[in-house]
Amino acid sequence: MFEKTDEQLIAKALQGNKQAWLNLLKRYEKPIYHYGMRMTGKNEDALDLMQEVFISVFRNLASYRNEGSFKSWLFRIAHFRCIEFYRRKKPTQGLDDTPEIESDEISAADSIHTSQENKQLVSAMQQLPMSQKAVVELKFFGQFTFDEIAEQTGISANTAKSRLYGALEKLKTLMEVDYA
Amino acid sequence: MPKHESQLGDNLNKSRLSNEQLLGLWVEEQLSESQQHEFEQRCLQDEGFAKQVETYNIFAVQSEHYHSNEVPNWNRESTFDMPQKAKWWQWQGLPTLSFATSMLAIVMVLTGLQVRMEDGAMTISFSDKQSTQEIDRLVDERLAEFQQVQQLALTEYTQAMSKQQMDTSTQLTQYLLGASRKERREDFAELIKYVNEQRGDDQLFYARQLNKLQQDIYAKPDQIGTINE
Repeated sequence: MFEKTDEQLIAKALQGNKQAWLNLLKRYEKPIYHYGMRMTGKNEDALDLMQEVFISVFRNLASYRNEGSFKSWLFRIAHFRCIEFYRRKKPTQGLDDTPEIESDEISAADSIHTSQENKQLVSAMQQLPMSQKAVVELKFFGQFTFDEIAEQTGISANTAKSRLYGALEKLKTLMEVDYA
Repeated sequence: MPKHESQLGDNLNKSRLSNEQLLGLWVEEQLSESQQHEFEQRCLQDEGFAKQVETYNIFAVQSEHYHSNEVPNWNRESTFDMPQKAKWWQWQGLPTLSFATSMLAIVMVLTGLQVRMEDGAMTISFSDKQSTQEIDRLVDERLAEFQQVQQLALTEYTQAMSKQQMDTSTQLTQYLLGASRKERREDFAELIKYVNEQRGDDQLFYARQLNKLQQDIYAKPDQIGTINE
């Protein structure tokens, strides 16, 4: 049986076909959930963020014009929803501010949803400022180019490179601590 | 390209590319041959840069081995936020339509717009003055109404006059008849009176004659035979 393309599922979902929308959602829920998990470090927040992202995607589905891949469009929305989520959760912290130490630990409840291999990585990411974390996420896990990252986050490609460089600087220290 | 120019170009590139840019090109595998050489040189010479590259590699390996757990069960259907069809009174164009009709009404009032359907023809006029046709029609209408009222009044007047005249004639006739009867009765009474008076006079005359005769008879009885003879 042939699998329907994203565009076919989108067209059906726009006509009110719930099953088509759920199929499309199931296709991308895993990367979005793990994106949320890495960006927030908490299972509950990741689930909330995922729900917000998909609600936003559904509401804006009609404006998707097949320009670029659906995945890129989806992650662009996810990025903006994530920024909003972050601002709502931490209204006093800027996007370039280094997060407080409390977020570096993954709680016992969240550990259930985070495997041992992922734990170190997710934990390290939680110590990056939101602006750097977004670039690291899109580069390493989204496999996007700097130009694509720039387009998705609304910054220039050079800024994206600088943020990655700055993030690596911090991660280097964190990795050294972890490996020590 | 001559060798010295190529070296010059490379030197320029060296001076231009920062660590961030060089790492960025390496990450996306876009390094040219000279940039590759520069990258290797910088890794050897710049310990900090080399550490960055190493960190990138470690992180890249970790991200590749990132274990994607299954997504916990969640309410997927809540994202299917299909807007319900709006009721007709919630139609988006309703305020606009309302505004447009209000404006139209204002324009119609201000311009004195008149729309008339007459004899299968529609007339639209933007003046509040009545047209000549309209005035003529109104005058004709009023005149007809007036004429009708006058006609009715005249008929009633005529009928009343006729009745009055008839009554008067009847009264006159009765009066005349009554008067003539009375006169005749009086005339007959006079006549009878006259006749009775005449008869009285006659009776009186005859009575006198008879008395005279009686007296004559009694006074001169011997002459009676002579007279009879």
